[in-house]
Amino acid sequence: MWQQVKQALVDSTTHFLTRFASLLPGLAALIVALFLSTILAWILAAIARRLLTSLHFDERLGRWGFASLAEWSPMNSPTHLVSRSLATLVLLSGFLIGIAAFDFEWTYLLVQSIFAYLPNVLAAFLVLFVGNLVARFVARSVLIGAVNLNLQHARFLSIGVKWLVIVLTVAMALDHLKIAPGVVELAFGILFGGIVFSLALAVGLGSKEFVTKSLERDGKKAAGEPRSEPVEGDPLRHL
Amino acid sequence: METDAIPPEVHEQIDSADLVVGLIAEFDSQTVAQFYNALRALPDPLRIAVVDNDPAAAKTPPNPNAGETESTEAAKNQATVFHLASPWTKPEGNAPIMLRMAAAYQSVFELADKLQARGCCVIASGLERIAQGWAWQLAQPLFQDNIDLVLPHYARRKFEGLLNNGIIAPLLRTLYGKRINNPMGPDFAVSQRLLQRVLAATGGENSNGKRRHPLASLTSTALCENLQVVEVHCGPRIYPPVDWTGLSSILADVLGPIFLDMERKAPCWQRTRVAASVRAIGEPVVLDKDAGVIETARMVESFQLGNRELQEIWGLVLPPSSLFELRKLARLPLEQFHMPDELWVRIVYDFALAHRLRTISRDHLLRSMTPLYLAWVASYAQDLKASGVTSAERRLERLSLAYEAGKSYLVSRWRWPDRFNP
Repeated sequence: MWQQVKQALVDSTTHFLTRFASLLPGLAALIVALFLSTILAWILAAIARRLLTSLHFDERLGRWGFASLAEWSPMNSPTHLVSRSLATLVLLSGFLIGIAAFDFEWTYLLVQSIFAYLPNVLAAFLVLFVGNLVARFVARSVLIGAVNLNLQHARFLSIGVKWLVIVLTVAMALDHLKIAPGVVELAFGILFGGIVFSLALAVGLGSKEFVTKSLERDGKKAAGEPRSEPVEGDPLRHL
Repeated sequence: METDAIPPEVHEQIDSADLVVGLIAEFDSQTVAQFYNALRALPDPLRIAVVDNDPAAAKTPPNPNAGETESTEAAKNQATVFHLASPWTKPEGNAPIMLRMAAAYQSVFELADKLQARGCCVIASGLERIAQGWAWQLAQPLFQDNIDLVLPHYARRKFEGLLNNGIIAPLLRTLYGKRINNPMGPDFAVSQRLLQRVLAATGGENSNGKRRHPLASLTSTALCENLQVVEVHCGPRIYPPVDWTGLSSILADVLGPIFLDMERKAPCWQRTRVAASVRAIGEPVVLDKDAGVIETARMVESFQLGNRELQEIWGLVLPPSSLFELRKLARLPLEQFHMPDELWVRIVYDFALAHRLRTISRDHLLRSMTPLYLAWVASYAQDLKASGVTSAERRLERLSLAYEAGKSYLVSRWRWPDRFNP
């Protein structure tokens, strides 16, 4: 009886040690991969930081209309944000390479599914980036146009249009990521409709006079009268 | 040189001319007929090709003494006038006015070059004296004195041509060192030599894929190449009425090509120090006082709204000292509203620099200048409310001197935009 217990214990220990020993190369590979990726991440981050600093990336980003990005960034510097994101990406890649070295079916499947999902993530980021650019450009156009038309709600209109584009962009990005598509569709419809409705109300109620004048001007234009709005006896001539 | 722009019927009618006259403005048929007759009555035996958009002129026999059949002495000594169908298409309703004009000017220039004309004259604005051979007044110095560019000096009322008086004329005077009143015409005469240089400069495309405006580079090219420029006193010009809703487009369309040309000619204008006057031909015409009331309140309101909402954009273009002064200006009551010339000059220079540096989209940049321009117009109108034309001349001369005084600021910022930012 004691012999059998002893045998079972030895077998189990041998089995455990054998399994553990078979894990060791993978574990060593993971540690090496993490170590190397940490060094690589540190080097790449330092290079990126130095390059972006020499290009005055933070100032340029502010000029391009991304000043608010600094608020989300570590140490209020988009340069740090970019360099740390790069380092994280390299570390993550090193970790995935290390995991794949474990020669188990589940690690292989995990890495495979992560890599299969990666194009969706990249596409979502691209959509967000382009959408952000478009939102800022359109918002600035609306702001300048509305100020030049003397609309008192210029800022409100500009912000409304910007959020319209951003909401559309986020919905598209989430759709790419396949995160709760049903909820996203519903939320997008409600938000988009709400913003359009509030903008319509703002324009309709706040700019009644302007709309009336525009319609009158269009009517005159259709009737062949010159497209101008001279004040009675206004002697000003610009061009 | 492109030959596609020249319609085939041109070659059938005429293969060379001494003078090409482009009628870009729209005139009634009677005025055009008078214009033709005035040209025919010229004492010089010139071959003149008139290019215009008027279909009636094309139908009527425009040239009773054309060809070699006339044998009288009088006919031999008179000008021969040909009518050419316009090579530019009739302007579409919503196309920007400056874009339409640029295409028309370019076409007339290309036609004149193709016909190897010794001179080219363009009439683009309504002129009260057009029927009395006014075009010849502009073109005559080309043939008689070998002048390269003849520009108009319109008899102006104090509130006319404000964009020219407030920005274009003093800016170009400061940059290129000649006191020219209407450097962008739009009516002028140009020699073959200058025409070819302007065509060479404007024929290519700029970095945006758009053609440069020939008007913007006309005076600057002549002055940088040390060519002869004169002005002709040519009476009052009929200005188009103000389109308040399209003012920002006009600003963008006019200032964009000027700033672009300024960028190209930076080596030339950075060498120029003082401004000299140019020879003027004819007698100046003095006009009556302006009639009508200037409503400055609306312009000041536009500026105040811009000051409130566009700080984010102006902050990218203007230095803190200018922004501070603008904030102070926005708080002034209407009767005390006055924009100092020095501030306005710095604003213009800073916008020119931002245009060069592409700080923001160039269209956004120029359109965001509209409230500032209106503030200057309001301030100018307040200053001159009760005074006559002569005080307007003095006021504009003071402004031009402020532009000249601020040139060192422009040159410093142009050379070291990051280091020199007061």
